[in-house]
Amino acid sequence: MAIHERSLVDPERVLRKERLVIDGVDVSGDWNLIILPRVVEDYDLDFYDEVIAQPEGKTIVNCYQCSYCTASCPVHNYWDERYNPRHFIYLARLGLIDELQKRADVMWRCVSCHKCTHRCPKGVLVEEVLKAILRVMAKRGIIEEYPSKKFDKFFMDSVYEYGRIEDGELLFGWIEKQGYQVVKDPILKKPIPFFGGVPDWLKDLAAKPIKNMNISFLILNAKHMLFHPRTKNWNRFKQVLRKVMEEEGVFTH
Amino acid sequence: MAKSVLVVGGGPAGLAAARTLGKLGIPTILVEKEQKLGGRPVLEDYHTLIPRKMTPQQVIGPFIEEVQNNPNIDVKLGVELEACEGEAPNFKVRLSNGEEHEVGAIVVATGFQHFDAKRKGELGYGIYPDVITNLELEQMFSREGKLYRPSNGQLPKRVAFVFCVGSRDRQLGVTNVHCCRYGCALSGLQGSEIREKYPDVDVFCYYMDVRTYGTWEYPFYWAPQEKYGVRYVRGRIAEITYSPTDGRLRVKHEDTIVQRPAEIPMDLVVLVLGMEPSEGTKKVAKILGLAQDPDSQFLVPAEDAGSNIISNKPGVFIAGACKGPIDIESSLSEGEAAGAEAATFIGAKVSA
Repeated sequence: MAIHERSLVDPERVLRKERLVIDGVDVSGDWNLIILPRVVEDYDLDFYDEVIAQPEGKTIVNCYQCSYCTASCPVHNYWDERYNPRHFIYLARLGLIDELQKRADVMWRCVSCHKCTHRCPKGVLVEEVLKAILRVMAKRGIIEEYPSKKFDKFFMDSVYEYGRIEDGELLFGWIEKQGYQVVKDPILKKPIPFFGGVPDWLKDLAAKPIKNMNISFLILNAKHMLFHPRTKNWNRFKQVLRKVMEEEGVFTH
Repeated sequence: MAKSVLVVGGGPAGLAAARTLGKLGIPTILVEKEQKLGGRPVLEDYHTLIPRKMTPQQVIGPFIEEVQNNPNIDVKLGVELEACEGEAPNFKVRLSNGEEHEVGAIVVATGFQHFDAKRKGELGYGIYPDVITNLELEQMFSREGKLYRPSNGQLPKRVAFVFCVGSRDRQLGVTNVHCCRYGCALSGLQGSEIREKYPDVDVFCYYMDVRTYGTWEYPFYWAPQEKYGVRYVRGRIAEITYSPTDGRLRVKHEDTIVQRPAEIPMDLVVLVLGMEPSEGTKKVAKILGLAQDPDSQFLVPAEDAGSNIISNKPGVFIAGACKGPIDIESSLSEGEAAGAEAATFIGAKVSA
């Protein structure tokens, strides 16, 4: 059966059944398609309580929905209109979880320019509030962890291990972590740049600066990729760092 | 030339006018149709008045006392204005108790009445006991001192305020297209009071827009949200239904921000009533030949007068809610202004 005004119907609301029995009546055949109503049946107010329980989430109570933040937001204006900080705040306050979840794919796209926070006439710390909302969503398993956190972790692991990062390793090593096929040298098992399944856009991105680098710098970089140097006395500092990180509760190793 | 003034109405504006006139030493007749002075706030037991958050007793009590104790003021309770002849400054007025007086000026302060929520049948007032008016909520606070669901006497988990019931509504005819002016602010205050006393009760305000004008913005719109956690949802409630399965009400509306229909369970629904001119206002307008707004029937000031207490008829001054929705604070000041204006009209001078 055809659905009229298909664009207005969310795909997850369309139910198709081979056999359908309603109140004991077999209506299979023509009546095999049901569109679930889009009526909001209740609020999830616990969600809001979890947001304001976090220090970053406190100022969510101030919002009066003027949308100064959204009008200022570069992500909303130049990337995807579905990224709408003002709307996310409204949804979080009433706990309209399914509406939040619908936008989960764009919600991490904040570039932290803080225009929203600086301009908000009610003093809502918009950027922080949104992070608090995302954290509650992640805790409830309705949004994936922030994708860039994978990079953050790789970066942090590298610093923790060696006291420094290597640009080449960071770039191509991270590519491997992202699940691309990379070719490794047989002895040290390090990724070989530009080989394997590295995407073209990344090759272009990396090749541009390399063209302008002087040869000795390139050799140095290649050497460092193979034999990762450590910061002087790093092992001693690492102990201190570990202790601090443990005390702060951010130690993840 | 008559040297006394007639004040019609013993509410905030009428009391303030009579008090000013009495203090100026002018013989004043105050007629009030009810058996008690104070007007709606006192007669109907309002709990807290906006914007100062004081009780009617605190605000209007001193006015009543001064008016009753001033020998210049002749208070006539249970009396209405019946007829008026002559022109200013020699009005011959007849009262419902048969008395006739000659007065130099008249202050009209006949006030308003609350909208009858039964006229909005879709909101279920009078059908579901848990749908109450904001006036009944005030009385719940002031007379019983507690919040409860009339259906079972228990504390509600959720309270919804439905804004603009009987206001800004052409469906009721041209008479109710105006804004009630106090509703948004009073709902903010009532919501705050509920949240302060019962922090576990969730309060929702369903609004089209929030008109807490001027300096009311912070205490009656920002503070309810920021300090007391009252929630504001944009969408006018179109229908209230009852679910026998859980014994709760459903408020049916479109959340116009999310653009989705919603039927949210509520335990207590409070209808925020609009203001209409009282029967007395309409009656006095006819007796005195005062100009009325063709739609709402509220009294309107003279076209060429900058001040809104000057009526179209010389010697007649209008004050308070008979001219349209107004808060009590402003009613008092208008009453005082009308009293002073009436005093100067009859040529009273301050003697050294």
